[in-house]
Amino acid sequence: MRLFQKSLILTGLIILSLSQTACDKFLSVDPPYTQDVENFFQTPEDFDRALTGAYDMLQASFLTMWIGEIASDNAIAGGESVNDSPGLHQIDNMTHGGVNVELRNVFRWNYTGLTRANYILENKDNIDFPGKAHIIAEAKFLRAYYYFELVKYFGDVPLIIDKRIGIEEALQIARSPKAEVYAQIEKDLKDASEVLNPVASQKGRATKGAALSFLGKVYLYQNKFTEAAATLDEVIASGSYSLTPSYVDLFSVANENNSETVFDVQYTGLEGGSYGCLICLEGNAAVGFQGIRQYNGPVYGDGNSYNLPTQELYDAFSSIDGRRAATILDIDAFIATQPNPASITYAVGAGGHTGFYNNKYIKRQGEIGLPDNDLTSPVNYRVMRYSDVLLMAAEAHYQLGQTSTAQQLVNQVRGRAGVPGIPVNSIEVIYKERRFELSGEGLRFFDLVRTGQAATYIDGFVTGKHELFPIPQVEIDLTGGNWSQNPGY
Amino acid sequence: MIKKLFIQLLFIGISGFAFSQEMSVTGFVKSEQNVGLPFVKVQVKGVTTGVTTDGTGFYRLKVSDAANSTLLFSLTGYEKQEVKLNGRSTLDIILVELVNNQQEVIVGYGTAKSKEVTGATSKVNGENIEKMSVARVDQALQGQVAGVNIATNSGSPGGSSNIRIRGLSTFGDNDPLILVDGVVYDSEGLNALNPSDIKSINVLKDATAGIYGVRAANGVIIVETKKGNINSKPQVEYNAYWGQQQTSRKLDLLSAQEYAVIKNEMFAMGGQDMPFNNTNLGIGTPWQDSVFQTAPIQSHNLSISGGTMNTRYSIALGYFNQDGIVGGPKSNFSRYNARLNFSTDMSSKLKLNSVLLYSNDARSTLPENGIGSVLYNTINAFPNVPIRKPNGQFSYMEEVSDIINPIAQMQNQYNWNTANKIVGKEEFIYEFNDHLSFTNRVNYNVAFVDGKVFSPLVWYGDGKYANTAINDDLESPTVELAPGVEINRGAAVYEERSTFVDLTYESFLNYEKTFAENHKIKGTAGVSIFQREGSSLNGTAFGIPNNSVAYADISANTAQGGYLNNVGSWEFTERLVSSFLRAEYSFKEKYMFSGIVRRDGSSKFGANSRYGIFPTASAGWLLSEESFFKVKFIDYAKLRISYGVSGNDQIPNFAYRGLLNGEGVYVFDDLITQGVAIGRPSNPDLKWETTRQLNIGADFTFWKKLDFTTNYFIKNTFDLLFQPDVTAIIGSYGPGGYPPVINAGNVSNKGVELEFAYHLRKKKDFSTDLNFNVTTITNKVTKVPDGVDYIPGAGFSVGGDIATRFQEGYEIGYFFGYETAGIYQTQAEIDASGVVQDGAKPGDLIFVDQNGDGVINFNNDSDKTYLGSAIPDFTFGFSFNVRYKAFDLSGMLYSAIGQEIIRNYERQQPYANQLGYMVDRWTGEGSTNENPRVTTESTRNNLFSSYYVEDGSFARLKNVQLGYSFSAAKLKKIKVDSFRIYLSANNLFTLTRYQGFDPDLGSSGALSAGVDYGFYPQAKTFMGGVQLKF
Repeated sequence: MRLFQKSLILTGLIILSLSQTACDKFLSVDPPYTQDVENFFQTPEDFDRALTGAYDMLQASFLTMWIGEIASDNAIAGGESVNDSPGLHQIDNMTHGGVNVELRNVFRWNYTGLTRANYILENKDNIDFPGKAHIIAEAKFLRAYYYFELVKYFGDVPLIIDKRIGIEEALQIARSPKAEVYAQIEKDLKDASEVLNPVASQKGRATKGAALSFLGKVYLYQNKFTEAAATLDEVIASGSYSLTPSYVDLFSVANENNSETVFDVQYTGLEGGSYGCLICLEGNAAVGFQGIRQYNGPVYGDGNSYNLPTQELYDAFSSIDGRRAATILDIDAFIATQPNPASITYAVGAGGHTGFYNNKYIKRQGEIGLPDNDLTSPVNYRVMRYSDVLLMAAEAHYQLGQTSTAQQLVNQVRGRAGVPGIPVNSIEVIYKERRFELSGEGLRFFDLVRTGQAATYIDGFVTGKHELFPIPQVEIDLTGGNWSQNPGY
Repeated sequence: MIKKLFIQLLFIGISGFAFSQEMSVTGFVKSEQNVGLPFVKVQVKGVTTGVTTDGTGFYRLKVSDAANSTLLFSLTGYEKQEVKLNGRSTLDIILVELVNNQQEVIVGYGTAKSKEVTGATSKVNGENIEKMSVARVDQALQGQVAGVNIATNSGSPGGSSNIRIRGLSTFGDNDPLILVDGVVYDSEGLNALNPSDIKSINVLKDATAGIYGVRAANGVIIVETKKGNINSKPQVEYNAYWGQQQTSRKLDLLSAQEYAVIKNEMFAMGGQDMPFNNTNLGIGTPWQDSVFQTAPIQSHNLSISGGTMNTRYSIALGYFNQDGIVGGPKSNFSRYNARLNFSTDMSSKLKLNSVLLYSNDARSTLPENGIGSVLYNTINAFPNVPIRKPNGQFSYMEEVSDIINPIAQMQNQYNWNTANKIVGKEEFIYEFNDHLSFTNRVNYNVAFVDGKVFSPLVWYGDGKYANTAINDDLESPTVELAPGVEINRGAAVYEERSTFVDLTYESFLNYEKTFAENHKIKGTAGVSIFQREGSSLNGTAFGIPNNSVAYADISANTAQGGYLNNVGSWEFTERLVSSFLRAEYSFKEKYMFSGIVRRDGSSKFGANSRYGIFPTASAGWLLSEESFFKVKFIDYAKLRISYGVSGNDQIPNFAYRGLLNGEGVYVFDDLITQGVAIGRPSNPDLKWETTRQLNIGADFTFWKKLDFTTNYFIKNTFDLLFQPDVTAIIGSYGPGGYPPVINAGNVSNKGVELEFAYHLRKKKDFSTDLNFNVTTITNKVTKVPDGVDYIPGAGFSVGGDIATRFQEGYEIGYFFGYETAGIYQTQAEIDASGVVQDGAKPGDLIFVDQNGDGVINFNNDSDKTYLGSAIPDFTFGFSFNVRYKAFDLSGMLYSAIGQEIIRNYERQQPYANQLGYMVDRWTGEGSTNENPRVTTESTRNNLFSSYYVEDGSFARLKNVQLGYSFSAAKLKKIKVDSFRIYLSANNLFTLTRYQGFDPDLGSSGALSAGVDYGFYPQAKTFMGGVQLKF
């Protein structure tokens, strides 16, 4: 007992007199089994994994598939009611302002994407290994992609290059002029195109052709027609791409990553998902949302009736143009052709109904992901198709007075669609052809804006205001209120 | 008179004969209420040994010199009595309960008489907790202590409450430090604690809680479990109650007929076809009647306590079971408890205190208080649709994709959690002498927490978000693993097993000595080392056979090759090393001074700011001891003041470090490829929040009956830890990404607390105790992070505006939106209003032009304003306990006044059902100025406005109890010490104007408080119980 008492007291006294160094050591706890932000990029695998993380944010592009259509004359917002994604309805009606969930997500998610690319580029000199140059090139391509999205939507945006910034620094950063952002995008794409493989080592990775095609598009958005023509010609001359024989089958999962694919955002249905974090999904949320509401019948799956093509778009097509049916599903006409039409049902959403659905990106049976399958469509978003490259090249050449080249390119696209060639005697012919070829793919609004036609075609469009979307007001507030809002908002 | 004389003579005679002889003295010790007091220590003065009274208060003591001996009677909480025996062989005694100021309170690493205390503390006795007949101690504590606001997070069985000591002081975790016999319990962990095991609860509210340093900023709650008594026979106690619960409220929803009429009008107004040809649909389906049910509750506690010469013990077993009023057994809480408190003198100088608490608690839950919860679906379910279709299938309600049949939902929900917890303490106290003692103790808290969720294949109708099957035949979705290789997903089960191990070693010296009679010195010095480790392993398995819960286990999965099945895990370690010093000095027990310093080192913070020092000073003046103090009716008067600094470290572990725990997953070659991404950016300068608190208080006793305590406090919290919404350009808003944790912002709480306790024990048969307390707190954000105007909080409706904010000059989480001023009756009124309200038509809400620019701006916040807050202006607690002869009646009333609630349980979709008030909607000029028109077209009526804000004030009779105690004399014959039966009711009535299920609506998040998504209401419970001692 004596000994026990003594040892107890002794232990207590030792504890009472703990040394500072012992404390320090005891309190330095490393997070178990977790790699840290600051000690990463030690192996080639680290670079590769960070790059995958940077690719991840491409999946946010489904928003552009919506907004690029809904903001234009191609589609209405649709949905369950006007309170179902009210931000899209505001964009549809050109009543959008500084408070808009979808626009804020565009802003946030693209900044996250470019931050992930910057994180790689910040650490690019850590180690050397074969293949590093390609990883750096892919990171630059991705950064350019995200900045291009931002500049298309918002114009001047803060330009952050090769570093991460903290809260304090964020308060000091101003919006960079659009021209500076474009210059950085051009530089990144040029750098990338010099290194990237012509053929991707894995389906989904950026290629030389993708970098050049985007570079061409970026030139075109700035009306740099000479550079655009040269760059796009390089893509065409590379011979890497060709139009597929059938336009109708272009958008099925089975036909993904074909000869016409310049760059796809990859999606899969192999992982489930739920509402609440659309950016956490690995599936394409737009496709399920664009499905037919409460549809019960063959071929298609049920969805949320978002992004519904307009009668006006339907009417714009020539009736002999097969691209009309491939682009637009006339639901009642479709049902009438089915074996037992009376058994097929669907519902009309209170958010609007046109009788038409986006037939390129729509939930089809056999292309259904894990639950909730409205959110997990495996259908890739074809953000850069070869026909887009051809039509952009046509536009650039036409603007440079090379009308015969332009005509040949336009008719190459028409030929594949099975419609007769036409004379290209005005720039509007090319613009129209872009609409026939690329409707439903999220390009229309930005095409109308860059070609100065938006006010003509979009109800409620105010010139001098609606060319740009407003910077989300809360983002202005969170950086100290120093940024001016875009004009008109 | 003659009788009295006779007795006196008899005594004298006996004393004469008994001189110098050993004899037995017997007697009863009773309280003023004439109830036998057990555990009273009875000893002869000058002799250390003695006996204790049994359950009836009876004692028998051998006395060697009955003529000259003096007997000492002592019991904690009662005044000591010395009685000269004068040779008597029987001696009955009445012990008087100590007035509050003499009671012992726990102040952290020591105790003090409340007379000596210089801080603001409150004490609640275990019986007042047990009497509330609830599952959790936090529910029982509501309204009992001034300055402690408790709001219920959920009325479901096992649902937690949030405890706020002296207001909301931070954006993040506001929970106080809860210590049970010295062991840290978190708010969730309170599920494991049996309220019947509690002896007392002490609440440290002011800066003197600073003895707990970096964890003390939100106050400290010290819970002590029951102990045995020296030299007492085993006392067996059995307490039990049984009850039935029902909902305290159902909402007034539209009948099928009203629904059809209103929906027809809504569609017609929107220019669409009317959905109902026939509106004569009667009442329709009263969904609430099927969702709510009566549910049983029961509790049993069995304990034995006693002691020998140098050992005390108390052991207990407990069982509690409660079904939910929504979902019955699907929303259940059950608990088994076992407890052992054991103390022994290992030698004359070394004492051992040992505590062992085991608990097994199990909880099953339904989705609650959110969009998609059972009650949210119940409120919005269509009344024209039956629960089941004629073919027996559940009806679908396909017109709204996120409203599902609540009955089907409950049936398909399987969500269980169990926790096995072993908590204990081994404490060795070595007493060098009467003045100096040395305590060394080890505390442990080991918890094994298991969770399981079974997701069967279900079908709620076309397009429903909650479907897991692909059709109503419950066919499974298939997954393509590789081209041509498809497997069924089937039903899934998720399991998680987590282990938490807390270890604390504490070592401290206590010194107490009075010098020259007038100078009393107390000192405490020690260290504390704390470590918490947690780890978890979880897995999901697919292909559960037969879609049946009978096989809901990972082991039963049939997923081919284990494909699809996935696993996850996490681990953490956190540590705290602290040293503390407290010095107290009092002069003549009139002037008291105390100083505390604590130094904490926490692994939660980076090397730049790992250590913090927290000092506190306090003083007291016992005015009533002064010779000049001659106010007759004031028996006791004390003034107190304290000021000090404490901290709050409740942030995630490793928050100062940037972690690659984000999600960076992409698809290459059609396969999911795992990459990495930054989860949360780093902040190496991150440090604890600091709270500086001033307390000025006074304690009085008037007429020996009325205790009164008041405190005024100013509590300022600096460097708030939080993860505010940050700018997008730092790039943290990806999947798995979070904003960084930063120190920014200040909050101030000022308040007044009043506590009254009235005791009337004049007559033998009658006694009354009344307790009343009032708290008022003014909460204000005094600073937000630089460059930020406000921090957005909870959203309104689905994808709607932000309704709550953290903003300088306002309460935390105040409501911000458009103020309404009735309904536009005519187009002429709109035209003449002088304000352009875009899109306004007759029947729409009139928004107030706050900035007076003639336009209601819907693009920014310039026309939005303050619409209220979830923080009450006043809270009141009132309890009474009246005894008359064998009957006792007690009750507890709680009231919170001046808070608002956001009505956010209405799905703003055309087909969703609505509340009864829509019957009085606007239908034309002059019809109403309250509720807007109905239409399917786009209006701004569903923007967040004062229309959706309601007064949340309420008063609730939390408990009322009527008991009857059988006569002790009769019970004695059957060897029973006491037997009491009672009837009791919880939440018998609630006075409120709030329309929702329950105005007592808490939230663990400071910014989501007061947002009602269809809150699981507290049950109204009727119970009967017994209390038996032998």
